[in-house]
Amino acid sequence: MATPAWVPLATTTLSSSASSVTFGSIPSGYKDLCIVINGTIDSSQDLKFIFNSDTGSNYSRVAMYGQSSGYGSFADASQTAGNWASVQTVRNTVIANIMDYSATDKHKTVLVRSDNAGDRTRAYAGRWASTSAVTSIQLDPTSANWNSGTTISLWGRNAL
Amino acid sequence: MKKTLIERVELASAASSITFSSIPQTYDGLYVVASCRSDRAEYFDNVRIKPNGSATNGTGRYLFGTGSSAVSGTEAYAFGYTAGNNVTSNTFGNISIYIPNYTSSNYKSISTDGVGENNATSSVQAITASLWSDTSAITSLEIDQGDGSNWQTYSSFALYGITAGSDGTTTVS
Repeated sequence: MATPAWVPLATTTLSSSASSVTFGSIPSGYKDLCIVINGTIDSSQDLKFIFNSDTGSNYSRVAMYGQSSGYGSFADASQTAGNWASVQTVRNTVIANIMDYSATDKHKTVLVRSDNAGDRTRAYAGRWASTSAVTSIQLDPTSANWNSGTTISLWGRNAL
Repeated sequence: MKKTLIERVELASAASSITFSSIPQTYDGLYVVASCRSDRAEYFDNVRIKPNGSATNGTGRYLFGTGSSAVSGTEAYAFGYTAGNNVTSNTFGNISIYIPNYTSSNYKSISTDGVGENNATSSVQAITASLWSDTSAITSLEIDQGDGSNWQTYSSFALYGITAGSDGTTTVS
């Protein structure tokens, strides 16, 4: 049987609200990671990606957006978390790809799509300025909570 | 994500739409990848996505770049963008469509990334966020343009089922 290109690593459907969700003990044997979030939160916020519990000024981003209030692009450097998605009280889908997550010779780059219920669509590119392998990912909607019923899943991608 | 091919369609002649029917209810998400071109006399066209054949109860937001400008707006259905008939000959656009939790009793989010390739300064790249405000599980997907156009011969559409799960090592807290 051929080795699957994408391997399910972990998934959760929240049975109650949660202030954040963390994937831990992420194995190093894959090439890239992919996270998909489908759900709602109780207050619209930026979604923070925190790698390996690092809250130093090691994250940057560039984004483009289209939403009811307008469209454009923005960039930020030296942030204390990867603010790489915008989550709203309506239904959200976030798709995050983390390339070469286990490499120890490069900083980590991410590409994220962040969509909200037909109201706004965004694309982010981000960087975590660390050569450490990613072993944990905390998904924190800043001062909001994930609502019950939100699904968050993680896959590892094999190099073929 | 673990992807399993459910069905692939390649048109032997022009068609107004394609439909994936009797979609198994055993996956956690649906993923469509298409190489397509419509006969609309423009360098881009809509890709209208109709869950269970329905064009109602949909809303969508787009961010669209043309090579000379960017624009954002809305549509009253789930959609994306691809190539129309004014792009370079023998050139097809691409689009990917992702629908998580398609069997749930929640409303359904639909995300797309699409391009209309063209050997000229006018082309299109677009991302869209759509919502199908229906609690029914998705059992079929019809894909047309919503403007009376047709998909041209050799347009292809592949539907994959996405499976989530656990490896027994990675933790969630």
